[in-house]
Amino acid sequence: MLVFDHVSKCFGDLRAVDDLSFELEAGEVFGLLGPNGAGKTTAINMAVGLFEPDEGVVRFADEAFDRNPRDAENRRSLGLAPQSIALYEQISGADNLRFFGRLHGLRGTDLEERVAACLDFADLTDVGKKVVSKYSGGMQRRLNLAVAIIHDPELVLLDEPTVGVDPQSRNAIFERVEQLRDGGKQVVYTTHYMEEAQRLCDRVAIIDHGRLMALDTVPALIAAHGGPGNLEVWTGDGESRHETTDPLATLADLQARQAVDHFQYLPPDLETVFLNLTGRALRD
Amino acid sequence: MNKIVAMAAKDIHILFRDKLGFFFTIFFPLMMAIFFGAMFAGLSRGPASIPIALVDADRTAGSARFVGRLEAAGGLAIERIPADQALEQVRRGQTAVLVTLRPGFGAALDNPFVATPEVEMSVDPTQFAAAGMVRGVLLEAAGAELQAFMSDPSRMSVTNEQNRRLIEQFSPPSEARDDLLNVLDQIPRIPVLIDEVGLGSVTTGATGGFGPPLEIEQTQVQAQRRGPTNSYATSFAQAMLWTLIGGSVSFSMSIAIERSRGTLMRLLVAPITARQLLAAKGLACLGATLFTSSALITLGITVFDVTPTSYPLLALALLCGSICFCGIMMVLSVIGRTEQAAAGVGWGIALPFTMLGGGMVPLFLMPEWMQTLGNVSPMKWTLMAYEGAIWRGFTLSEMLLPCAVLVAIGVVAFSIGATRLRWDTG
Repeated sequence: MLVFDHVSKCFGDLRAVDDLSFELEAGEVFGLLGPNGAGKTTAINMAVGLFEPDEGVVRFADEAFDRNPRDAENRRSLGLAPQSIALYEQISGADNLRFFGRLHGLRGTDLEERVAACLDFADLTDVGKKVVSKYSGGMQRRLNLAVAIIHDPELVLLDEPTVGVDPQSRNAIFERVEQLRDGGKQVVYTTHYMEEAQRLCDRVAIIDHGRLMALDTVPALIAAHGGPGNLEVWTGDGESRHETTDPLATLADLQARQAVDHFQYLPPDLETVFLNLTGRALRD
Repeated sequence: MNKIVAMAAKDIHILFRDKLGFFFTIFFPLMMAIFFGAMFAGLSRGPASIPIALVDADRTAGSARFVGRLEAAGGLAIERIPADQALEQVRRGQTAVLVTLRPGFGAALDNPFVATPEVEMSVDPTQFAAAGMVRGVLLEAAGAELQAFMSDPSRMSVTNEQNRRLIEQFSPPSEARDDLLNVLDQIPRIPVLIDEVGLGSVTTGATGGFGPPLEIEQTQVQAQRRGPTNSYATSFAQAMLWTLIGGSVSFSMSIAIERSRGTLMRLLVAPITARQLLAAKGLACLGATLFTSSALITLGITVFDVTPTSYPLLALALLCGSICFCGIMMVLSVIGRTEQAAAGVGWGIALPFTMLGGGMVPLFLMPEWMQTLGNVSPMKWTLMAYEGAIWRGFTLSEMLLPCAVLVAIGVVAFSIGATRLRWDTG
């Protein structure tokens, strides 16, 4: 189980992560949602032991003891899919999996079974022997994800795994993240796409300028910070927008006064949560 | 250890799948070896200025006068050193030619009617072009000496008088003897007669009618001592150096590529230590350069008739050269952080050092200060080790110096690179 305990990290004058604390729960997909530069990747890099926190502690809490991710041996229990497509393009997809599998100590039939399973997971069995440079962007993204789980880790960290992919490939990645959750993995999923966090994550940590703004399930976050929804109505007088926490009551009230031609209700979402928490939009 | 081997094998696999890397590591050096081997085999032109060792075994006024002419002629940088030392210098490739003025040289120079001055040239067989030029300068000086003699009636009279006495003393009276003595009487008049008929204004020299002004016996130093079979012996040594350069630059780029593509992050997140990563990179570079340089010399041996003087020493030279460039690879990796920077810095540093080390232009063509400066170039020591094993016939003790220098450079450079290499991923 991954634990961030009052963790801070600075690069010169920039405080990239500022007093960040959270604790993953078993079998959940945990979202780190924030705009570019919010500190998500820095947090991931500390989680996998690439950076050492300036303050606080990152650890894998075990029943028996706490393990430091900076110890090479402790990294067996985590898998990382970096934001960039971190693959060797000159060799085949299967050879990429084989190589990283060997680094994690897999050998012989165990290795070959895991390679086959990961190719199947990424839906790349038919093209496993092709060199990666021949793959489409979506196929490379799926392989990037598959390499992260070649050694069957307990914790999988996915850093912006859908950057630069088409909607169809994005859906394919969503399905695989859900497969991981169904398989009992803990997943940390960083994104600046509100829709992805809302669809995939059991809990979401909203961070901005390295600080944790809120952490909870999506419904709870919306309930706590989403504010009222927006009811848009069209009448003979034209279009009007009404903030409301009870759209049905508001609609009934409006119809009592004037005939409504049609309407649209926009409930609060993580975008509005972020806006309410930070005063700016996620994509600003 | 399995992880290190897996990482090294992956790097080598990728290197040979990379067309550009393959080109600079194997194809380019091979083309150079074939091209320069063929070119040197037929080259007859000499350089503009050549360092030679000169031994005056005659030690007469005539030989001293001849040396003076050589020094005044230009084109040669003459070093007067003992014969054995000079020969050793030629054998080591430090001097292109040893010129020895044989005993009797001065006497023959002063009496061209009865003898030809003799010179011995001991030549580094790879320096045919230089030897050709030295030969030309020697003949020019001898021709000038003969011209001076023929233009000086008083010198000719003295020589004639000596010859007349010798003929009268040792030759019995005969018609031929009388004819010869009559001709000798006329010889001092030749310059005067030439002036009278105006022939001096249309002739270009005074050597016509005589044999060659100088008898040059040329010997190949290496031919006497396990010399190269052909010019490919030297061009393949240079090509092997180029494979080391290509390999080290390619591997230094590979670290930058791993960083920019994110695979370095994956490696760092795997359960391996930075030390294992370093060892894998070093092993891959060592293995690849050892393989490519061995493959090249094998090709040279089997196809181009290159015959190493010692296979064990060749193996030692190959290993030490690869160790050296493995260290250089690590330093280049530190300097160039991006793929483009690593390539630019790698070749930018490698080319001047290669020039300085004799990898492009033979060292003897360079000014002395530059040759001394060449000692800082690992390429010079690599070439020395390769050539020592391939055709210079180095003994083990002679091989120790270049090999020790190469290993020392490799270890120091690898240590510097390893300590300064930042395993960050940004």
